[in-house]
Amino acid sequence: MAQPLLNKPSDITAMIEGLFNQTNYVAAKKMLDVTAMRHEAIASNLAHLETPNYKRLDVAPNFATELQQAVAARSLDQIQSVSPRLAIDTTAVASRKDGNTVQLESELLKLNKNFMEHQLETQLITGTMLKLRLAITGRS
Amino acid sequence: MNPLSALRALAHPALRAEAMQPVTEKAAPKAIPFSELEKLSPGILPMPIDSNRVNAAAATGFEKAATDLVSQVAAKQAAAGESVSQLLGGQNVSLHQTMIATEEASISFQLMVEVRNKLLEAYQELMRMQV
Amino acid sequence: MINILNGIDSTSSALNAERIRMEVVSQNIANVNSTRGPDGKLKPYQRQQVVFETALKDQLKGAGLPGSEASTVRVARIESARRQPRMVYMPGHADADANGMVAMPNINIHEEMVDLMSASRAYEANLNVVKTARGMALQTLAIGKR
Repeated sequence: MAQPLLNKPSDITAMIEGLFNQTNYVAAKKMLDVTAMRHEAIASNLAHLETPNYKRLDVAPNFATELQQAVAARSLDQIQSVSPRLAIDTTAVASRKDGNTVQLESELLKLNKNFMEHQLETQLITGTMLKLRLAITGRS
Repeated sequence: MNPLSALRALAHPALRAEAMQPVTEKAAPKAIPFSELEKLSPGILPMPIDSNRVNAAAATGFEKAATDLVSQVAAKQAAAGESVSQLLGGQNVSLHQTMIATEEASISFQLMVEVRNKLLEAYQELMRMQV
Repeated sequence: MINILNGIDSTSSALNAERIRMEVVSQNIANVNSTRGPDGKLKPYQRQQVVFETALKDQLKGAGLPGSEASTVRVARIESARRQPRMVYMPGHADADANGMVAMPNINIHEEMVDLMSASRAYEANLNVVKTARGMALQTLAIGKR
């Protein structure tokens, strides 16, 4: 956490914000939003496993590239401005006659993968918080 | 405050001793405006204190820092409380946002408490010093 | 309703819909030999089938929440298939006509079993989703704790 020494009054105003301004932490928070959103999409997909002509939903593909660029640029504003949304997955093909594009096995795999990602994000966030507490109080 | 500053302070009307007041209007000499005195003998009198400058110097110092810290921590607590009440009300806020907001508020608060403790320690250390 | 479990609306609607489907299938299987209707008239049982449809989630409640484009599923209707009854030669049957043919319901047990299995599979998948959602919620509640 590269924080300048307090030599300007405005440095104090950045003190609280500065605690939570690390790139990884902010990116992890954003990713956590996405895992929650993706779970909703997968839940909807599996709910409609037997619905004719249902097209599967997923997080819009531009999100991954945008977040990657924002993290590489190490710009907090850019990371905050990335807004994920759900969209119909255009790469999914209808394996059934009724036009339904949901495939049970791949959907269940995505469910588990998303769960593990969620676990990773919560671990990262918890880790950062515990480190901050350790730094502040000197005890864990 | 060093002796020179003390002298400057004396020139500030607000800091003049109250004991001067009982002097009657007639007996009191008419106040000569500073500009005339300066014309008579430039540089002999200390500069009148610019009250704005004095206040500004104090404001950019420690007082501002402390109040800023407290107000930011209060803002974080307020945001966390708002998030919780929205969650309980079933409105559009997700669980993880609420959890993260409350934890961040707690960490900020802990920071403020530790800063306070250190200041208190420093003050007590100072008071313990033998004159 | 407090929004703790993600996607719980979709999942619970699916569990409900699949359960209804399983009930309809078991009803079909139970009536595989029913030559008369409930009113006693000579009308062989017609196969019932469910029609699923997408229902948009309660937009007022879910507005702004992640994934409000996701939807719930519901049973639009339970309709009778319009199939011709199977004519089976059973001269000793009470409902045999002049030629000894009985109009039996056109229900194929294998078809019904396949339906039952796919409904059961979908039901299990959605149970899995609920379990995962619960796991995610528990992890979220543990954010910041040792």
